[in-house]
Amino acid sequence: MAIELSNIIKDWIPNKSKVIDFGCGEGSLLKELMIEKNVFGYGVEINDIKIQRCIAKGVPVIKQDIDKGINEFESANFDLSIMARSIQCLKNPNLALNRMLSLSKRCVVTLPNLGYWKCRLNIMNGRMPVTPELPSSWYETENIHLCTIKDFEKLCADEKINIIDKVFLNRSGKRGKFTSLIPNFLAVEGVYLLEK
Amino acid sequence: MKKNSQLISFPDGITLESGHILNSFDLMIESYGKLNESKSNAILVCHAFSGNHHVAGEDKELGTGWWDQIVGPDKALDTNKYYVVCCNNLGGCAGSSGPNTINPDTNKIYGSAFPQVSVEDWVKSQKMLMDNLNIPYWEMVAGGSLGGMQALQWTIAYPDKVKRAGIFAAAPKSSTQNIAMNEVARESIRKDKNFYDGNYHDHDVIPKNGLKTARMLGHITYLSEEHMDNRFGRRFQDSQSKMNKGIDFEIENYLQYKGDQFSESFDANSYILMTKAMDNYDAGKPKGLIESLKNIKAKLLIVGFYSDWLYPPERGKEIQLAAMQNNINSSYVILTGEHGHDSFLFHTDKYSKIIRKFITS
Repeated sequence: MAIELSNIIKDWIPNKSKVIDFGCGEGSLLKELMIEKNVFGYGVEINDIKIQRCIAKGVPVIKQDIDKGINEFESANFDLSIMARSIQCLKNPNLALNRMLSLSKRCVVTLPNLGYWKCRLNIMNGRMPVTPELPSSWYETENIHLCTIKDFEKLCADEKINIIDKVFLNRSGKRGKFTSLIPNFLAVEGVYLLEK
Repeated sequence: MKKNSQLISFPDGITLESGHILNSFDLMIESYGKLNESKSNAILVCHAFSGNHHVAGEDKELGTGWWDQIVGPDKALDTNKYYVVCCNNLGGCAGSSGPNTINPDTNKIYGSAFPQVSVEDWVKSQKMLMDNLNIPYWEMVAGGSLGGMQALQWTIAYPDKVKRAGIFAAAPKSSTQNIAMNEVARESIRKDKNFYDGNYHDHDVIPKNGLKTARMLGHITYLSEEHMDNRFGRRFQDSQSKMNKGIDFEIENYLQYKGDQFSESFDANSYILMTKAMDNYDAGKPKGLIESLKNIKAKLLIVGFYSDWLYPPERGKEIQLAAMQNNINSSYVILTGEHGHDSFLFHTDKYSKIIRKFITS
């Protein structure tokens, strides 16, 4: 997923952009962008083991709980902030979106689509969705704010956030032929470039 | 592990930040490991306020090195791979020129006549040491607390001479509360009847009580409340091992013991000088921290510990945020740390791993 995502992001940002990746995991995405786009990036991560791996890769990383606020990074003038597959884990996704857009010119958000047909099928059968993309059961999942593609785009409209570009990924993490025709039904994941 | 101690003389002296000139001075150093052929494996360790040059291994007089858990063969700062150097800071009391050494100009103990030095002066003298040892640059400069301030200052003062800096349990400057604590400690020394305005050597005494009280207070600030609770709780000291009759609790006995031990080995003038240097340091002088960090080329690793209330993790974060404004390759990690401010001294898997990964990244 990091490879496809970095390919998408590579098309969206100029060389040498200053990037902050919230929930950067082991820093693979940033590392790719650092190598291929010469970006100057910082990762933000809470997991100590993942932080160690970032440091081993030479990816600058900050230990921080994103839920406790990201305002302090505002003065660092980022070109782009990234939140990949994490926004649904936050207590206030809408606040986080606005914060990201105040600390960087643009932001990239990716989110799992609860409207994906397999999720719908699960719910039709009276169960919470458990899919390869959303593997945890309802009592274990960190995804406390799941939404559909439609829900997310409505939030953007409500918050007056402009969607500059978007890409929908299918089950194999690729841009499928039909996926973008009815993304709310066929896309597993949505990738958005946003601006305010 | 082979360690090498030596006293290095600097006959050309040094002009201090204050304008005061020391016509000559000595630095006591200890080193471990070997400088490789390309001279690319040197690490400078900077000690905290009451530390000295004896970082690792055993020493007859100085006991186990203060950072023995981190520095040594196969440890986080691996002496099989790196050449690790540490000096007793100028103004200290473990062999380098300081208030308890002879002033070559007068042939008398300096005492109160030893000039105030600063973190900037220490870094300047360490640079002279680097040149003396024929080391072209430091692969890493590392230190905790006041040692972390020196590591930071190295990256500011000599951006081309430091590849990496490990800044642990430190801050860009001391807080008001830090200064307040230090002033209480200094006051207890100054008010000891044996202090004689710093010239106690002339009277053949030492201000032991003042120094002891200062250390007892300091010690409280180095530990966390939780650590003290777990280690001592409200347990009573057994009567055979009480330091004095007035003692009830184990914590009292512990502080009495630590205070006594310290007051017999540390110099009172050095205590005042070191804490003053710590209080006076401000990495953001004169135009603010962001401006100060502008020319840094080193990679930074800033580590704070949740249990540290003397230099809590947020203080390290001030450095991180200023570094980010300057596009410096800087990471900021917070670890639990069981020992409060002293956590930087102790090995944990996470702490050592992060240091090791940072130095090879």
